[in-house]
Amino acid sequence: MRILLSLAVIVIAAVGIGVWIVRGPGPLDFSGGSKVAVADYRAGKPTGVPAALEKASLVERGEYLAKAADCMVCHTKPGEKEFAGGLAFKLPFGTLYSTNITPDKETGIGNYSDQDFLNAVQRGKRHDGAMLYPAMPYPSYTYMTDEDVLAVKAYLFSLPPVRAPAPENTLAFPFNQRWAMLFWSAVFNPDTRFAPDTSKSPEWNRGAYLAEALAHCGECHTPRNLGFALDNRKKFAGAVTAGWRAFNISSDKATGLGNWSDDALVSYLATGHALGHGSASGPMGEAVDQSLSQLAPEDIRALAVYLRSVPPQPSPDLPATTAPAAPASHKDGVTPDARGKMVFEGACVSCHGWSGESLVSPMATLTGAWSVNDPAATNVAQIVISGTKRYTPDGALSMPAFGNAYSDDEIAAVANYVTARFGAKGSKLTAKDVAELRQQTAQ
Amino acid sequence: MATTLTINGEQKSFDAPPEMPLLWVLRDILGMTGTKFGCGIAQCGACTVHIDGKAVRSCVLPVSAVRDRAVTTIEAVGNSPAGAKVQKAWLDLEVIQCGYCQSGQIMAAAALLAATPNPDDSDIDAAMAGNICRCGTYVRIREAIKQAASGRQS
Repeated sequence: MRILLSLAVIVIAAVGIGVWIVRGPGPLDFSGGSKVAVADYRAGKPTGVPAALEKASLVERGEYLAKAADCMVCHTKPGEKEFAGGLAFKLPFGTLYSTNITPDKETGIGNYSDQDFLNAVQRGKRHDGAMLYPAMPYPSYTYMTDEDVLAVKAYLFSLPPVRAPAPENTLAFPFNQRWAMLFWSAVFNPDTRFAPDTSKSPEWNRGAYLAEALAHCGECHTPRNLGFALDNRKKFAGAVTAGWRAFNISSDKATGLGNWSDDALVSYLATGHALGHGSASGPMGEAVDQSLSQLAPEDIRALAVYLRSVPPQPSPDLPATTAPAAPASHKDGVTPDARGKMVFEGACVSCHGWSGESLVSPMATLTGAWSVNDPAATNVAQIVISGTKRYTPDGALSMPAFGNAYSDDEIAAVANYVTARFGAKGSKLTAKDVAELRQQTAQ
Repeated sequence: MATTLTINGEQKSFDAPPEMPLLWVLRDILGMTGTKFGCGIAQCGACTVHIDGKAVRSCVLPVSAVRDRAVTTIEAVGNSPAGAKVQKAWLDLEVIQCGYCQSGQIMAAAALLAATPNPDDSDIDAAMAGNICRCGTYVRIREAIKQAASGRQS
């Protein structure tokens, strides 16, 4: 009996230590200062809406916060009604669909009480008690104040209800066992509200709240641990999400944001483009268009202040610097792949130029972008497959999707050519890699 | 919004939304229909014009992105030495069949010769591969570029 008891104690302790090791630090633990509840923080107001909206109606405040939390991108299927759900997330173990969050009583959230909505957003718990999968970033939204979550609810409930049942998920066993998410949540969802750090400036605290509770930057930019939760030991070191690489946004000088000027950082966040740093496309392009570009200038600056404070994390697979502009003549520079060059000169050069500096728009300039300097060429292949459409201060700019026009072989060849010509180190993509990338994008 | 551009050496003022591609300004607002609409996504080359002497697809170029750069279209390309040589070679060799893509072909060829007076085949590929011709005049296009470059008569 004593042996059994000791064994049980050892097992429980081992599990506890294991969980503690896997879980690692929280997203704001790096700041080190003493934390206080929002209500006890007197230096400023890190939560809620910017000063200009302070007197706005609850619905308007909720709209701003819903944009800052970027609810719409995931909860809208392209071409369908906003917030009506149905966007497919393809995971290695099946497909998940986003849900309808319009106030429709049958297929949306029309029957949610305030407490139901708080439970869903902060705890990942559905109206009927079932657990949500963490594709819904509730481990980030859990840091939102109740007041802000309920403002978002008021905004969503001000929208017209849309009848749109969510398609059934097609997850394989054991991932189709929703109840198992109870354990996942118990370990990985801190279920705690944002606590300002008194050793930091009010601006930093506002940036921290925006980045961690609302914009959920880490959900794409922080690598995941064994339990598919964010590994904050490598906070903002970059990761591949939904088939696109979210680059390093820690303060690392070589591969992160350490060497970006404040202006460049603010410009990239607000417009998805900064001279010499390329342009946002894919999921970050959506985040800019639907969320970040709608934020008040002081909120963008607060985000920049916060991002700068995140400790440096290296990205050892990236070159130490991005490559300079390629030669103006097609004859000079690296030409490892005749087929890649053939695709490039037929389909790409008229906008991107042989030097990589676009004559059409600085947004189409390849020089300085991490995408072309990534030896894995993930984002180059993705943008060739799916194209991009961005809304800029000068109007919409787009690149056509070539996924249906070119074979996997051709896309691999042109990605390898582009990374060799415009980046520091060429990629070695194969047709098989491209086929896999095609499978991973959300649609 | 009132915009002024330098097109073929003249100042042209017009009202257009900033995101309107230059091609629509040329054809629909200014009535300069020599530049053609083909695919609308910079994949065929029919809409090629020169921006500061370089070939650019006008169908994807927002008019606001032209700024103070000089626009040259097919209507005036013959005023430049390279453009005149290209047009003459095109006539001498009767390059054109249906003609729809040819203003774009001529603009791309003129920009090539202005930058590379004696292009070899790979230079021609690099400059012309993005200009599509459904009639298949590619053989005569290549020959005409070489003739324009060398100055020889057919």
